[in-house]
Amino acid sequence: MSRPQRKPRIVAVGGGVASAAALAELRKEGFDGDLTLVSAEDTVPYERPPLSKEFLLGRSGSVPVKDPAWYEQQSVELLLGLPATRLDLAARTVTRSDGSVIGYDQLLLATGVRPRLLPGVDGDGVCYLRTVQDATELRDRIGAAGHVAVLGGGFIGCEVASAAIQLGKRATILEALPTLLHRALGSDLGEVVAGIHRDAGVDVRTGQPVTGLTPRPGGGVQVTVGDDPVDADVLVVGVGTVPNQELAQQAGLSVENGIEVDEYFATAVPGVWAVGDVVAQYLPRYGRRVRVEHHDTALRHGRAVARNMLGRREPFADVHWFWSDQFEHTISSAGLTDATAPLIIRGSLEQRSFSAFSLDGDQLRSVISLNRPKDVLDVRKLIARDHRATADQLRDESLPLKRLVPSPATDPRVSA
Amino acid sequence: MQTARWRETINLDDLWEGEMTAVTVDGEVVLLVNLDGTVLAYSNRCPHQASALDEGDLDGETLTCAKHLWEFNAATGCGINPDDAQLTRFGCQVGGDGTIYVDIGPR
Repeated sequence: MSRPQRKPRIVAVGGGVASAAALAELRKEGFDGDLTLVSAEDTVPYERPPLSKEFLLGRSGSVPVKDPAWYEQQSVELLLGLPATRLDLAARTVTRSDGSVIGYDQLLLATGVRPRLLPGVDGDGVCYLRTVQDATELRDRIGAAGHVAVLGGGFIGCEVASAAIQLGKRATILEALPTLLHRALGSDLGEVVAGIHRDAGVDVRTGQPVTGLTPRPGGGVQVTVGDDPVDADVLVVGVGTVPNQELAQQAGLSVENGIEVDEYFATAVPGVWAVGDVVAQYLPRYGRRVRVEHHDTALRHGRAVARNMLGRREPFADVHWFWSDQFEHTISSAGLTDATAPLIIRGSLEQRSFSAFSLDGDQLRSVISLNRPKDVLDVRKLIARDHRATADQLRDESLPLKRLVPSPATDPRVSA
Repeated sequence: MQTARWRETINLDDLWEGEMTAVTVDGEVVLLVNLDGTVLAYSNRCPHQASALDEGDLDGETLTCAKHLWEFNAATGCGINPDDAQLTRFGCQVGGDGTIYVDIGPR
């Protein structure tokens, strides 16, 4: 007499958009085995992009990726509020912090990243921003504050400063590098962003490292930077992130600045996959491992890994894309940007409406746009297909970018 | 009884197949999409954050909002990503002379 066959179980560890997208795609593609989500947070996966934008402005609450009812309708088991603390890849189990053990047939690691903490920068009045809990606390603190300072002129810092100004607060950005968004955009474009912030009333202090931090008697902190200290009611620290890779590392998976996966999101251990901000993924297009922290990419990772977990073997080739909203401006980008590459400008930096392209030979490598999202859409499509581009063509506003796809008549491979 | 609310907009000659454009009807910005000769009308506001859809991309039947890459099936108005989104659709018909009429309904 045979036993009734047990249904296969997939366990996803990590409660962000990558996990949620994978679970949704698994069900959509007909997986009818057991699905379990393990998350340290006590809510279902939610959208993080609004947390530094509309959420801080009070225009949006927490937005779930999938409605809480969806998990019940789709029989997805939710194990929330406790982190996974141990993986046993031989026994195929996940252990949570309360000692409970969950068995799996396939495992998806989507553990994300956490804010990089600055040693000595803590205490009352110091905030980091990653989770909805962080955002709720920050929103309340900004509401009660007169002066909001941010340490770090990256995307989080710039978006928080933008929100603070829009809420009628004083805002200061402290950045040791010469401009804002320096690592992402380079100095020329970073300076345009700094100009936007200055014009909006942000006190932008670039090129000056912070040398001290003192709690103020009445609350808040005094930040020492240059000769002119900054007194802030709240200091938001946005100085980058650290991948949550320890769980994978302790289990013996290969990690280096992220969990290493191939273009199918497979780790070296069969049945163990990883996606999202935490992965360092080998991409043949670039010939190296790439770790990106874009919402859109995490979502696409989730969908793509689900199909691979079901045996499809589809390499990930989606073009990376991100956006940032600051004041009335939108920065968006497609491809993998390299802040040190020479930039080809279409439009005008002065008028704050431009696209900055970079080329790899006669192929577009990336674009960063300010207030020209259509260009980014076009480049995103071009990168994914055959095209040819010259710097002169890219500068020429009268040439629609979609013309850069060779017509069949002029493509030598068609006539050959 | 329903009052006639058909408003004259542009001519079909000015909206090629596979193209989209925005027109204003009774103060509402309306997106007109020409899919293989069939014209459909939607609110030009993306259901995500009200970004202008005509600044996005139409590729076959896939309409992509440029702002945050939400994708819709332009033939049905149904979301592709996310799949629970929905465009607001308006009445649309093409007259014998090619005039495109739109009815945005009661205000």
